[in-house]
Amino acid sequence: MDHKRRTFLGIGLAGLGALAAAAVGWPLFRYLAPRSSREAAGKVVVPEGDIPEGGARFFEYAGSSAVLVRKRDGGLVALSAVCTHLGCIVQWQKESQDFLCPCHAGRFSTDGVVIAGPPPKPLAKIPFSVSGGNITVG
Amino acid sequence: MRYREIIMANFMRLFSLIPLILIALLLTRPGLAQETAEIVCIQCHSGLPEIYSQPIRLWRGSIHAENDIACHDCHGGDPQDAANAMNPQRGFLGVPQEPDIPAFCGRCHVGVMRDYLASAHGLALGRGGPTCVTCHGNHQVLKATLELINEKSCSRCHSYERARTIRAAMQETEGLLVATETRLNDFKKIGSNTEKLEKELFSLRNSFHSLFHNVNLETVNKQAARIQLELKKIQAVLTEWDQAVQRRKIAGALAVSVMLLIALLAHLVRKTYD
Repeated sequence: MDHKRRTFLGIGLAGLGALAAAAVGWPLFRYLAPRSSREAAGKVVVPEGDIPEGGARFFEYAGSSAVLVRKRDGGLVALSAVCTHLGCIVQWQKESQDFLCPCHAGRFSTDGVVIAGPPPKPLAKIPFSVSGGNITVG
Repeated sequence: MRYREIIMANFMRLFSLIPLILIALLLTRPGLAQETAEIVCIQCHSGLPEIYSQPIRLWRGSIHAENDIACHDCHGGDPQDAANAMNPQRGFLGVPQEPDIPAFCGRCHVGVMRDYLASAHGLALGRGGPTCVTCHGNHQVLKATLELINEKSCSRCHSYERARTIRAAMQETEGLLVATETRLNDFKKIGSNTEKLEKELFSLRNSFHSLFHNVNLETVNKQAARIQLELKKIQAVLTEWDQAVQRRKIAGALAVSVMLLIALLAHLVRKTYD
């Protein structure tokens, strides 16, 4: 009788033990697994002709504001348009060829490097490729 | 026995060092270090008659003080050298003349200055119109809120009616802004990574508050609607976070129940061996 009871309780214990192990393992797996980021999924295609020399085009990328700039030497740069100080959206200054944050006067070069004001970091660069007259960001 | 005494003595010696280590850590905290190394402007002006020391007292309660924006950030000069603190060659600007105030504040608040200069208030600059300090104060500058538009303040120059209409149009969005900020702060307190949302919220609040300078009701309504849409997106993310917290609570309760059940079964198994 005791043997049967012990087997029954043992099965119960094993089941609960497996449940407890899964309860510990699942969050651990979720934590260690790479993010299935909804943000990383999106790509943005911009026709090359949309950005004149010395001009910029703002667009939504991964849920935030981003910008493509064609430098006066013809080179292209894709950057996050979110100021690294407090998060305002930077504005392109065509005359001075730099970015100005309207909130606290942070200034960034065409490449996103901080040239004045309180921003602690450069604007984040975004990967892009150019083919067939289109710029694919992301 | 001798060894035991030596070990105990060493342990007690180490134990007695703990308060000293804690004090050393406390003194090396950056905030405290900053407080002790006050800039010369504050050292000097604090001891002067009220007219000169009042700005310090007012500034201490300002949004600028909260964000480490001190005297020299606006007035220039050298905050580390008492002899040259007010030397124009070290960039000291002193107090701006009234028509120069918007440009003075606008060195940092560029977007706001642009909005102000384009507004009816800005167009009246130098002709009796208000400057930044008329509504925001000079040293005790507070975080901008809708409270700045009030009958007492606006009635100093004109009738409150138009301002009342604009304030009413902005009330709903302001309420949404405050509610979103409160929810975000609650998540921050429990250790959630709120940096991205905080930045989005700051940007929205800034665009919204720049409307304070625009006295065109149509523009205010249009922009407020856009900002409300963006705020609702942040609210939706916070609702997802809320749901995740709820799910975690349920999972936690289930985990505790399973552990109790395991303990009970283990106890019953042990009893079968008695």
